[in-house]
Amino acid sequence: MNLVGLALRNLRRRPIRTCLSILGVGLAVGSALALIALSRSIKDSTQEGMNEMGDDLVVMQKGASDIFGGFIPEQMVARIAAIPGVVRASGELFMFAPSAGDRSVLTEGWPDTSYLWKKVPLREGRVPSPGERHVAVLGEAAAASLGKKLGDELELLGETFRVIGIANYTTIVNRGIVLVPLIDLQEASYRTRQVTMIHVNVDRSGGPAKLSRVRTSIEALGNLTASTTNEVLNNDRNFAILEAVSLAVSIIAIAIGALNVLTALVMATQERTREIGIFGAIGWSSPRIITSIVIEGVLMCAIGCILGALLSFAVALVFPNIPGIGDLISFKPHVAVIAPILVAALALCIVGSLLPAWRAVRLVPADALRRI
Amino acid sequence: MMNDSLSQQIACRDHLRVVEPHSSDSRALISLRGVSRFYDGGTITALKNVDLEIEAGDCVAIVGASGSGKSSLVNMLCGIDLPSAGIVLWEGRPQLTRQDWTNLRRLSIGIVFQEFNLIPTLTALENVELALFGRGLSARRRRSRAATVLEDVGLQHRTNNVVTKLSGGERQRVAIARAIVNEPKLLIGDEPTGNLDSNNAAKVAHLMFRLCAEQRMTLVLVTHDEKLAVRCPRRVRIRDGRIVEDASKAVPSPPIQWQAAE
Repeated sequence: MNLVGLALRNLRRRPIRTCLSILGVGLAVGSALALIALSRSIKDSTQEGMNEMGDDLVVMQKGASDIFGGFIPEQMVARIAAIPGVVRASGELFMFAPSAGDRSVLTEGWPDTSYLWKKVPLREGRVPSPGERHVAVLGEAAAASLGKKLGDELELLGETFRVIGIANYTTIVNRGIVLVPLIDLQEASYRTRQVTMIHVNVDRSGGPAKLSRVRTSIEALGNLTASTTNEVLNNDRNFAILEAVSLAVSIIAIAIGALNVLTALVMATQERTREIGIFGAIGWSSPRIITSIVIEGVLMCAIGCILGALLSFAVALVFPNIPGIGDLISFKPHVAVIAPILVAALALCIVGSLLPAWRAVRLVPADALRRI
Repeated sequence: MMNDSLSQQIACRDHLRVVEPHSSDSRALISLRGVSRFYDGGTITALKNVDLEIEAGDCVAIVGASGSGKSSLVNMLCGIDLPSAGIVLWEGRPQLTRQDWTNLRRLSIGIVFQEFNLIPTLTALENVELALFGRGLSARRRRSRAATVLEDVGLQHRTNNVVTKLSGGERQRVAIARAIVNEPKLLIGDEPTGNLDSNNAAKVAHLMFRLCAEQRMTLVLVTHDEKLAVRCPRRVRIRDGRIVEDASKAVPSPPIQWQAAE
């Protein structure tokens, strides 16, 4: 027998309380993991969507709070395209557009001559012809969730669009997208001659130095920020707020879980005051008694953490099947998310266990032995 | 130091001899000097200015009525409580802190309680093994040592029984095994037979005397049972928190003969 074995015995003595405490930690850790993984997954999904478009640079209005919030004059696209080293550029108007039944769909408007249309991975149908108006290409998930097929009509911003193509993008964000001609979206959203971002492809033969020079040249045009697709979401306030809220809720969830452990341990040590007196009477030092109690807390927490991690993976499996959510964002818990949360939960539990442990050794053994 | 009236009182007893208080420079195993213990902010006095010295090899019975202060006294002797005033010395060294006493109880003092004080979820072997924690022994050596001592107290067939499944006498033997597993210099029994029937009480008492004799342990036995107390060569009587009698038999028996006396 060792201290761990002793702690396990003590936990088994109160199976219901131990199980409830473990469940509390598990739910707290699972919630925290789900929340943080979810917020990261939303960002990652958007990131992957941008990467799938194959941009080298994304140009947005300087100081724009998020990817929807900046507006750039459309004529800026031509000026950027003229910068040496820029192979091609395309404006894009990007928004959540209200559709029928109070649903909003992620909608992108591209100029009918944009190179982006040529890169659409069509499953069926076609992309708009030059000058063609009020037509739409739907991502597979968007088509499925809206219940649309080729030839159907789709209402966006009060305008009617005919579905002419279905695209099979691989990323979750692009699978849920609706593509329409830029001019239609500009008119329907009262954003005439405005775009939210400009996609830029750079001559890659020049390497990072050329990319950097192009960025500098674009930003020199005034009131613009040029970022790589990996950087573009870093300054997005919506994602920052989402992550902050997720983190805050996660901390509260984990604190509640740790409080469960603390409560269980306080009650357990109060019930076992006499036993702790026995340990003192047979020569156990205070640090050893404290260690034995903290081990109990850590064991409960560790089992709870494993349960929480398993729960988060279970949620991740179920998530894609949730209507209206699963087709918009993916949810992938991974080590970078799990490890810090588990470390935080364990640290909180250790700190939480120290309080009852300290209370337990505060009494001299004679006083502890007098307790019933 | 005892006062004159107390010395006279003791001297009146023809079958006892007055024990002169030990000089301050003696190397007693454990000494209490002016020890007092107050509770509830001084409103309750459990011990009043107690001086007591116990030599290595002594077999001492501490007797007194219920509430006389004998448990408080024994708590001071094993350091599971600390004096409100005065000092306790172990082999001449003052024991001032809880840590000092913890070390002593781990290495040199074994205690047997009236209520056994075993961990109810553990087996006999594990209860004994607990006392070996912190001695730098491997788990296997701890188990082996605990098993050996359980055999010494006649419980080799009960080692893997959870202690709640044992009889009162068996539980107290487990408690004795736990108390002696570290081969302490001082074994303290706080009413060790108080919760046992007469048959088991006799067996437990015999066991304690035998083990102390075999292992040359100093024995301090707190009891209100005069029959048990009389088997100890030295008796300390306590009343109202004061030692009122500290006497040895006229012909003290060496510890090794205690077993024969049984």
